[in-house]
Amino acid sequence: MTLEEAKQILALFRPGTADEKDAAFQEARQLAQSQPDLARWLQEHCESYLTLRRKLRSVPVPPGLKEQILAERKIRRGFFENYWVPWLAAAAAVVLLVGIGFWSRSPHRVNAEHAAYRKRVTEAALRGYNMELTTRDPAQVRRFLKTKNAPADYTLPSKLQSAELVGCAVLRWQGAPVSMICFRSGRPLPPGDQSDLWFFVTYRNAVPHAPSPGATVLARVNKATTASWSDEQKNYLLAAVGDEAFLEKYLR
Amino acid sequence: MPGPNFETVVADYYEPLYRFAISLTRSEAEACDLAQQTFYMWAKKGHQLRDPSKAKSWLFTTLHRAFLETRRTLTRFPQAELTETEDELPVILPEAAARLDALQAVEALGRVSELYRAPVALFYLEDCSYQEIADMLEVPIGTVKSRMARGLAELKLVFAGKHRARPQTGGQG
Repeated sequence: MTLEEAKQILALFRPGTADEKDAAFQEARQLAQSQPDLARWLQEHCESYLTLRRKLRSVPVPPGLKEQILAERKIRRGFFENYWVPWLAAAAAVVLLVGIGFWSRSPHRVNAEHAAYRKRVTEAALRGYNMELTTRDPAQVRRFLKTKNAPADYTLPSKLQSAELVGCAVLRWQGAPVSMICFRSGRPLPPGDQSDLWFFVTYRNAVPHAPSPGATVLARVNKATTASWSDEQKNYLLAAVGDEAFLEKYLR
Repeated sequence: MPGPNFETVVADYYEPLYRFAISLTRSEAEACDLAQQTFYMWAKKGHQLRDPSKAKSWLFTTLHRAFLETRRTLTRFPQAELTETEDELPVILPEAAARLDALQAVEALGRVSELYRAPVALFYLEDCSYQEIADMLEVPIGTVKSRMARGLAELKLVFAGKHRARPQTGGQG
């Protein structure tokens, strides 16, 4: 084994792992014991490996992520995996049939599937995200979203057009693209924040049980208020940091 | 034999999966989405796994696939010239690594070409064997090693300030 060959092998050596027992690594390390230059090179490699490993493994995990994963599972299990109690499903169907006329017109209708979607995208906006395109040009936003295969032919509430456009990004909900268009209301923002109004659009079939066309659902997600509605093809969600009265200024 | 329950799998793997995801995406929101999507898939299909000891590999593979899916509209991966990596076998100077905090380390890793980023992330984040990494990424072991070597060479250039960063878009909202 030449020195160069040994270096090529040792470049992938990870101290403190099963690599220490690997025959090829052992042979190369043995060579390093008799070659001061190679030994120095290996020592630097190991030090930087251990440092970077420690740093990357200490990346903080967002608080609440585990709870959110578990909560989504409970929502799904509760709604979709109780098929073993068919009488319960039948009873629920009767209740649904009786109440559906009122329910479909209710502005505060709550649905777990849609609630999980609403929570996810709103929290993504509140947590901070990578603004993929920064622009004040609405046409540029639509072009960008189209190139990302995200919904681009959406209808903005007319009042929202009075807010300042900041840019957009594409999120995903269970594999489906979600267009996120970011606006600024004009209020002072905390340092580092670029927007306080977010308009989300996804295809209607991506979020089953979204509000029926014509209905608007209002809900709180942490410090944000959200309004959800839909048309035949798409689901819309407007989220704003603030109360219902503030959000109402940008609806319709 | 019944597999591990959902809560146990989440408790064991949500942190390493999130860290793998943020190494790939550099975006907290995207990383959370990928982690959540991975466990959603586990909830739907994890019971089909015959060998419970493969749960970790299954989760990393699923997350990596989901990441690639989000990038499917991008053009094909850039290829580094092999001569560059042969000439400059990676030694990232320890003092350069020590200067970074955790998020800067993620940022540096995020500047490595997408094709090489997952192998390099697993090189640092997980103590898996090379065969396990190959299984997770669904490529032959030789490919894992060559991508890792090229990725580490790029990372060295990032530390040296010579590697051209990926086009940067926008900022935190």
